[in-house]
Amino acid sequence: MVLPAVIYIAIFCYGPMYGIQLAFREFDFSKGLTGGEWAGLKYFEQYFNSPMFWPTLRNTFIIAFFSILLGFPMPILLALVVNSIRSNRRKRILQTTVYMPYFISTVVLVALLQIMLSPTTGLIDGFLKALHLIPADTNLIGDPGAFVPVYVISAIWQACGWNSIIFIAALSSVDAQQYDAARIDGANRWQTVWHVEIPAILPTIIILLIMNMGSILSVGFEKTFLMQNSLNKPVSEVISTYVFNVGVKSNQFSFGSAVGLFNTLINFTFLMLANALAKKTSKISLM
Amino acid sequence: MRKKSILALVLAGCLAGLSLTGCSSKVNSSDVGNDSSNTPEGKTKLKAIIVKHSLTKDVTQMKWLAEIEEKANVEIEWQQISADWDQKKSALFASGEIPDLLFNATSNSDFVQFNGLFEDLGPLIEKDAPNIQKMFSEHPELKTLATQIDGKLYGTPRYKGIWPGSTASMFINKTWLDNLGLQVPTNWDELETVLLAFRDGDPNQNGDKTDEIPMDFNPIGWDFTPKLLLGSLGLPLSNGASDGYFTEGAQVKNFYVDERFKTLMQFLQKLYSQNLISKEVVTQDYSKYQSVARGNGATAKVGFTWGWETGDRFGNELKDQYVTLPQLKQHADSRDELYWSNDYYYQNYGSNAVSVSARSKNKEAAMRFIDGFYEPVVSLQVLFGGMNDTDKGIKDNGDGTYAILPPADASLDPGSWKWTNSFADNGPMYIADALKDKVTLGSDMQNVLKEKAVYDELLNKADEKSNVYPQNFMKYSTEDTNTLAMNQANVNNITDQKWATWLTTKVDIEKEWAAYVASVNSSGLEQNLQIRQKAYDEYLSTLK
Repeated sequence: MVLPAVIYIAIFCYGPMYGIQLAFREFDFSKGLTGGEWAGLKYFEQYFNSPMFWPTLRNTFIIAFFSILLGFPMPILLALVVNSIRSNRRKRILQTTVYMPYFISTVVLVALLQIMLSPTTGLIDGFLKALHLIPADTNLIGDPGAFVPVYVISAIWQACGWNSIIFIAALSSVDAQQYDAARIDGANRWQTVWHVEIPAILPTIIILLIMNMGSILSVGFEKTFLMQNSLNKPVSEVISTYVFNVGVKSNQFSFGSAVGLFNTLINFTFLMLANALAKKTSKISLM
Repeated sequence: MRKKSILALVLAGCLAGLSLTGCSSKVNSSDVGNDSSNTPEGKTKLKAIIVKHSLTKDVTQMKWLAEIEEKANVEIEWQQISADWDQKKSALFASGEIPDLLFNATSNSDFVQFNGLFEDLGPLIEKDAPNIQKMFSEHPELKTLATQIDGKLYGTPRYKGIWPGSTASMFINKTWLDNLGLQVPTNWDELETVLLAFRDGDPNQNGDKTDEIPMDFNPIGWDFTPKLLLGSLGLPLSNGASDGYFTEGAQVKNFYVDERFKTLMQFLQKLYSQNLISKEVVTQDYSKYQSVARGNGATAKVGFTWGWETGDRFGNELKDQYVTLPQLKQHADSRDELYWSNDYYYQNYGSNAVSVSARSKNKEAAMRFIDGFYEPVVSLQVLFGGMNDTDKGIKDNGDGTYAILPPADASLDPGSWKWTNSFADNGPMYIADALKDKVTLGSDMQNVLKEKAVYDELLNKADEKSNVYPQNFMKYSTEDTNTLAMNQANVNNITDQKWATWLTTKVDIEKEWAAYVASVNSSGLEQNLQIRQKAYDEYLSTLK
């Protein structure tokens, strides 16, 4: 039964990996991806020595870090809230409302942000300023300081509902006897959450966290690229947009591959670290 | 036993996978291009891609185009692209499978990067293209423009000759000035006073003192921006100054690291801090920039800005409120030589209008078809729309003269109509100089030439051999092309964000300047200037 999957993985996941050779070769159009002269680590060195190395790495880290720090716990909280609603009808309405934004395409989402946050005509911008939550001269779509919060908060708004589904599913498998036992022991609502529900979904949380760590540096290219402008570029130029700007737009394919491969290596390191850590502390791990 | 057979299958699967993926590294030359070459009627079938303006209608509905196809005895299957071509083309070109003809889709760096993908048109032109030959004999510089460093010609050039020598004009709202009893400013200090009055008064007289935007512009690197004020400081910009490059005294320089740019940024920062510049100047896109200036009905919103022409910039209702402003001096007593960007080459000469795939099987037919565009009267139709009852672009007066018709669609201005109705500036064309005087231009172009007349004197002053930098005439080797591209990406990263930060914050530009210049230079600008200087010197030696 596993055979089709193995063949699929071999052809579509491992097969194309031969293309990473390009990072070590001079790209020559007439000879194809694997035909150019060997260049060794030339393109990696070029990236490490480039003035854009630290800024892109730092920006990617900051965005990824805050996305995980704030974005990861939110679906769990939401799942606990949804789970505590007794009325099935209300539960369904809430769940549908919060997961719908997931289906908005990135292009539309960024256009929405740009309209809503425009410093002159933006609805949300005007609202925040009226309440004096942000200074009157803030430009939320340009200010470098506002880029990361706007990016992270809008991402939470969009994906939180969708991501909570897996936790809701995990919660539904909690044995009803455990709730009864907790009630008999005199546990209040908070204590039930803390001692029954969280331990029940902990394996799911840890596995998902490990998997998220693996993509820590794959900061969403589309959204970052669309939100980028001259003002916020100091914080919004991340590795993926840099690969695009140099590799694709300026036809520097080998350089682009090298930077992309470097990105993947870091992802891999994080994945292994998180996995080892989880294994050591809680005996839960992917491998 | 079972385990073994599964293992064998897995291995077989992996091998199959590898052999499948292996194919893509070789470019298969036998099955690309078009295979069935003729239609039942004996016409040659060709595939073409065209990168057109987003306004341009379906090209198969253009009758003048069908006439060229008819005459060349070809049938074209069009693929039309109007967005994100820069991002799509790398993938298409790298695949090696390109259509026979590529309209407005290639650049010099593509010929370098995708060596062997495009056909050298030189021999074909000599054999099959009388119109292009005639164009080259009348304007030899077009052949220079089209010829690459290896002596080959991969894309045909275009020539208009009737466009003005400058892209942007500077506009100020005369009605507002009159309402406030002010004079047209002649230098930066007076401009500041005027802008302050625009901010504090109610120049559009709608009772709301806060809806006026005294000054608006595009990001510095684009057209229609205050970089044109560098001409106030004696810095001669030319041909769009893309990425900041210009020449002064036959030296290639970059204004982003020029002291005079610092002076300009200090002035703009001062204006911004006094709330005289639109808050969205950095973050708005071009369509927003356009729509804001068109105001609200008959109420203008913008006081001072840059653009191509008043009708295009402010719409039919507001255009009469604005006048073109001659170049400003810095101070009343400044002695700096004044310049206005000389964009004659940029406006009238274009390279790579059409390229042909090296693997096309019908290059002769393709060349016949291309040559059809370069017949001067046909070129006129490429630019302004067909001379027939379907296209309604041009009227043939019957005595050898022609008149550009007003838009058949009354809701469009003449500029939008031209872009909708034909290939417009993106097409291959040769408007012969002999034809120029026989064409009555549309109201928009007449207006452009009239409005831009205030810059004529400054434009004529620019020295062709030392102060004008025709970037599209420059040719670079493969290695230089790659170096330029890498360096420019790094340089743009710094300059792009720095001007925006300087403009919108109150940091001391003077203090940051030296470190900024050093970092831009070390990011590759110095090297790029050397490479460009080499190419420019070569170009100058071909002038004479």
